[in-house]
Amino acid sequence: MKKLNIILLAFSLLLVSSAFTRPKGGNGDDVSNILQSIPSPIEISFLIKEISSQYNGSSLNNPKFVENYTMSHKKALNLGIYSTDLGYANLYEKNQDVINYLDAVRSLANGLNIGQFFDYDAVKKLASSSSNLPELLKQTQQNMDLINKHLKDQNRENMSILILTGSWIEAMYLTTLVYEQTPNVKLKEKIGEQKIAVEQIQKVLDFYKTQPNFEGIVADMKQLSLVYSKITIATSKGKSLLTESNGALVYNSDAVSSVQITDKDISLITSLVKGVRGKMVK
Amino acid sequence: MKNLKVSIFFLLFLMVGTSVSFAQDCDSELYSNISLKKLNDGYTFIKSFKIDGKGGQRKDIEYTCVFSKDTKYRIIMQSKDDAATGIVATLFDAKRVELATSFQANKFYEGWIYVCKATGIYYLRFSFKDSNSYCGGAVLGFKR
Repeated sequence: MKKLNIILLAFSLLLVSSAFTRPKGGNGDDVSNILQSIPSPIEISFLIKEISSQYNGSSLNNPKFVENYTMSHKKALNLGIYSTDLGYANLYEKNQDVINYLDAVRSLANGLNIGQFFDYDAVKKLASSSSNLPELLKQTQQNMDLINKHLKDQNRENMSILILTGSWIEAMYLTTLVYEQTPNVKLKEKIGEQKIAVEQIQKVLDFYKTQPNFEGIVADMKQLSLVYSKITIATSKGKSLLTESNGALVYNSDAVSSVQITDKDISLITSLVKGVRGKMVK
Repeated sequence: MKNLKVSIFFLLFLMVGTSVSFAQDCDSELYSNISLKKLNDGYTFIKSFKIDGKGGQRKDIEYTCVFSKDTKYRIIMQSKDDAATGIVATLFDAKRVELATSFQANKFYEGWIYVCKATGIYYLRFSFKDSNSYCGGAVLGFKR
């Protein structure tokens, strides 16, 4: 079951991260390039697990709410949110929650007519075999590329953006929640580093700001951007030093970054994220 | 004059045909899968990259990434030519300063490990150097 958990976690995180890589808008290449630069949620999730052993199941979006999301934009946003919740539940090996979130994700995916790309039986089958995890992750990414291509072919690439935004907001919500319970320097810095993601998401949303149901999300993200504009990520100059280890090239850089973020900034971000997320899951 | 027109027509036809043929010939996923099998030592897969030079029409392919501090990133490539022959992976920081390259001492390495201490935007460029196939795939993994 543990292996299944890891695989499902990876599956759900890749669902989110893959949504970041291929969507195209009116300026397809620009959008694709911007989205590609958003940090992988896999890395953030590993950090959360490292820092906190407490599972906040009651703070996640209730999977029973899935029936409430009848509009496409709500389905897409909450597909992103549930995907993050699924990954989070897996991280803490909460098996019943995992199944519930898997069902919610499948339901919304079917509702968006992309359910054919989610082969859950295959995922479970692979989990029970001796197949290695990296190969499964790779296959999942390829499936997600098909989803994004499918959405693009149907001129519904804006759904990819909403999935991305929903998943990112939920990841931020969980990160700030963990920080409230377990203040930690690394997590504080990680919240500050999301400045890069906020800027990139904002740029992408701007491509779609005139589309129906985007106005509110764009305005909310702008508010968040405003808070992040006060946070700075400073990087010292440095050089890469090359060594060779077991035939592999290893580059050690001495350039170091630091984030200037205050407790007040963290409070504002936490409050804003909670508000935006509240609107999305309503 | 007529012969010249016919020659140009055939030349154009061959160019188009060749280009389509090259585009179809590069199965990047196959080479990414081979790369993935070499991504070991506790690295977790993040992403795969298509390295398709369209038969030489594209000399390099660039991707934008965000790397996080206190994290090791490993890139592994596989060229259609053989191992990493003909493909060079180069990493640049946001100011386009070169940080890592897989071509050292006139030798193609299959990738590199970058020990990152600064969170930010980085550029990952795959370039073709004396390549026959202009085709390959790569994977990126991370380890904290």
